[in-house]
Amino acid sequence: MTTRRTKKLLYVKERKAKFAARQTTRAEILHVEEEGYITSDKVDEEEQRTVDLTQADIKSSVDIFSAQKRFDLELPLYGPYKIDYTRNGRHLLLGGRKGHVAAFDWQTKKLHCEMNVMEQVNDVKWLHIETMYAVAQRQWTYIYDNQGVEVHCLKVLDRSLHLEFLPYHFLLAATNEAGYLSYIDVSIGKKVASYNTRVANGNGKCGTSIMCQNPSNALIGLGHAGGVLTFWSPNQREPLVKMLAHKSTLRSIAIDRTGSYMATSGVDAKLKIWDLRTYKCLHEYRTASNGASSLSFSQKNLLAASYRDVVEIYNDICDNESASNELPRYLLHQCSNGASASSLAFCPYEDVLGVGHERGFVSLLVPGAGEPNFDALEANPYQTKKQRKHAEVKQLLDKIQPDMITLDNSVLSEIDRKGFIRKQEDKRNNFNFVKPKELIIQSDKKKGKIGKRLARKTQIRDTKLKEFLQQQQLKRKKNKN
Amino acid sequence: MLCRNPSDYVRETKKDIVPVQRNYDPDLHPFQVAREYTRAMNAVKMERIFARPFICSLDGHRDSVQCLTKHSTQLSLLLSGSCDGEIKLWNVAQRTCQATIPAHDGFVRDICVIPDGTAFYSIGNDKLIKRWSMDNYDAPAMTIVGKHVFTSIDHHYKNSQYATSGENVSLWDEQRAQPLQSFKWGADSHAKVKFNPIETTVLASCAADRSIILYDTRQSVPLRKITLQMNSSSLAWNPLEAFVFTTANEDFNLYSFDIRYLQRPFNIHKDHVAAVIDIDYSPTGKEFVSGSYDKTVRIFAADKGHSRDIYHTKRMQHISCVQWTADNKYVISGSDEMCLRLWKAKASEKLGVIRDREAETLEYNDALKEKFAHFPKIKRIARQRNLPKHVYHAKREHKTIQESQKRHEANARANSKPGSVPFVSERSKVILKEEE
Repeated sequence: MTTRRTKKLLYVKERKAKFAARQTTRAEILHVEEEGYITSDKVDEEEQRTVDLTQADIKSSVDIFSAQKRFDLELPLYGPYKIDYTRNGRHLLLGGRKGHVAAFDWQTKKLHCEMNVMEQVNDVKWLHIETMYAVAQRQWTYIYDNQGVEVHCLKVLDRSLHLEFLPYHFLLAATNEAGYLSYIDVSIGKKVASYNTRVANGNGKCGTSIMCQNPSNALIGLGHAGGVLTFWSPNQREPLVKMLAHKSTLRSIAIDRTGSYMATSGVDAKLKIWDLRTYKCLHEYRTASNGASSLSFSQKNLLAASYRDVVEIYNDICDNESASNELPRYLLHQCSNGASASSLAFCPYEDVLGVGHERGFVSLLVPGAGEPNFDALEANPYQTKKQRKHAEVKQLLDKIQPDMITLDNSVLSEIDRKGFIRKQEDKRNNFNFVKPKELIIQSDKKKGKIGKRLARKTQIRDTKLKEFLQQQQLKRKKNKN
Repeated sequence: MLCRNPSDYVRETKKDIVPVQRNYDPDLHPFQVAREYTRAMNAVKMERIFARPFICSLDGHRDSVQCLTKHSTQLSLLLSGSCDGEIKLWNVAQRTCQATIPAHDGFVRDICVIPDGTAFYSIGNDKLIKRWSMDNYDAPAMTIVGKHVFTSIDHHYKNSQYATSGENVSLWDEQRAQPLQSFKWGADSHAKVKFNPIETTVLASCAADRSIILYDTRQSVPLRKITLQMNSSSLAWNPLEAFVFTTANEDFNLYSFDIRYLQRPFNIHKDHVAAVIDIDYSPTGKEFVSGSYDKTVRIFAADKGHSRDIYHTKRMQHISCVQWTADNKYVISGSDEMCLRLWKAKASEKLGVIRDREAETLEYNDALKEKFAHFPKIKRIARQRNLPKHVYHAKREHKTIQESQKRHEANARANSKPGSVPFVSERSKVILKEEE
């Protein structure tokens, strides 16, 4: 069907695309930084296990600049703390349950603001830039700027338990005590969708605070009592995926940045690794009693899990080849004073794990956790003020509409074969030239009893018309044969 | 342990440029397609916002504009003739009238400029062919009295020959007052004659008996004649493909022909809702502009069946002539209400100097628009045009008529013996006969 010219055009285009792909892969040569790692000294001919290394060991063996990244914040009054890093990993937000909120540049230790909101704080989350963050308080959700000034009070998000921010869609998702999942578009300040997750889940219990986002397709995952896990998009009242992950209540979920692996932990003291492309369980591990209270994936797919006051970090947990059900422990840390960890987050582009616990915050060194080479146009830790302003404008221009959130986000890049075939078929059996039978019922009234009757008649007429057309189609097919 | 040296990422002085490190790892760039789609959507919306094609109108004529010619060597010079016999020379860059010549009694029918640009010919209803020098507009350099009214004139692209049309098609030499040759094949009147710019000995004319006749100046008789269903009012040769010409027909369509295969047009360009009066190809040969009696100018891609853009204003009346400027940037139309109008060839193009960064962005946006052109939302925005009311209604009426004709034909086919009402392609219907 295609002419020689279009064929050539397509060929040239394909060649160009291949060339571009090759060049971008070659661009890896230009990368400056290398991943962090731990080499073990041989002590008495016996290889030292990395698990045995303490944070003090690591701190003493790294350079001064990195050693500064290991620090403790003693905040015994207002814990337990929820934490969040900005997308470029430069700034840290702490939210203590008893109302203490602090935002600071954790590398230079420069404090942006610190305040007590005099209310219970359930969760804190940075928005698209480091000048704004959302705090889920007991009654409403508030947005503050980095000076600590209240910018908005989001009364549509009431009694929120957990917040998630989808940076490319500018959506702030929140679950609340009543079991509602709500989406707010923070660029225009409007509610996009709000669904009752309890109805879909079929249980009458209260809302969940077990929530995570899939960074690759912007679905929100919710964990429910009874081990049910659901994935939500703002376009559908029902969950897109509903799966039974554990046989008991879920405790935590984490999804890696490529969106291919998910880790879940439940009260049944199990840690499961799922393949999100097939929704199959890859590995199942036994953990300490009661399961991990929080989980977090790093950019290089290390998994951190907290069991009361112990934080464990696993490597190669997703593509673990060995058949043994031994957890591939990489590092271990025990919080001082037995403070149990409440929130874990790997710092993007840094080999650092942040742990918010009952008595403050700990920054741990985890070599090999962060992506060494950042893309300055995506997330730049060394961003200047001007760059930030430009980037915000660009980000807003590139805002993806919420209706484009789908389970499979490759739909846009694929050829719509089905649609094409449907169109072709419509063209083939179009009924343009056949006059449909007239079945007109005349009446002007459209309300009340008569209106209802009319509606019913219209319905009947439509079905009859449909039947007639189908018969015609069959006849044509018969004639053809 | 990952430890970055900040001096690698921060500029040294304030006058330095800020280093931007890239990492093309797709994992770092989620939603790439969705973001590109959004950008394409923005780009296509922006294109429609900036689509302000009208630049200015050149007024000064005291009667409706009859003909329009661009100068062969000077980019900004334009010649137009009106129905009161005046020829005006325009400087398009400055938007001023350079000279006004009272050239003929009655209509100025056509003007052509000789290839070296030192003189031009004009013909009028007074049966005169006048040669004007570019230095002296006071009096014609030469006047030839013809035997009949001439309708159009076109100069050979290399030689010192020119052709006129009227009762017949005649070939003239610049040095002689008598035609070298006269061609006649049935028709008693010819509307337009045009030389082929590449195959310079070939010329084509639109005759009043609904035909298009091809000639070769080396032969004494015409080459080919094809008869269409309706009259053609104008034609234009593709400046890059020697064998392609397009005719503007009175049945609202334009037909593109390949002279090697004249049984049927290789493309029909539809969209006008009244007789098409004039057509001109862009210098790249990829697009052409057509002016119609429906008071609109349309721009077609040469290989597409429907127009890519429509230009109209409230005040513009029936178009009598259109020209595409030699720098491929502007389109000029002359119409019945005495005005010439200057349009951008690409409606949303920015005039003036474009910086490198801006040009890069525009190129990127164009690539995105092309990539996502078939997505329904983007397609709809890109295609959306607000039509004048009369065009809108005429279009709908035209569509209804065509649909009903199709339906009649299909019904006839359905109710008669199989094979007795054969399918005839629309392109084949156009040509009534081809003669040699």
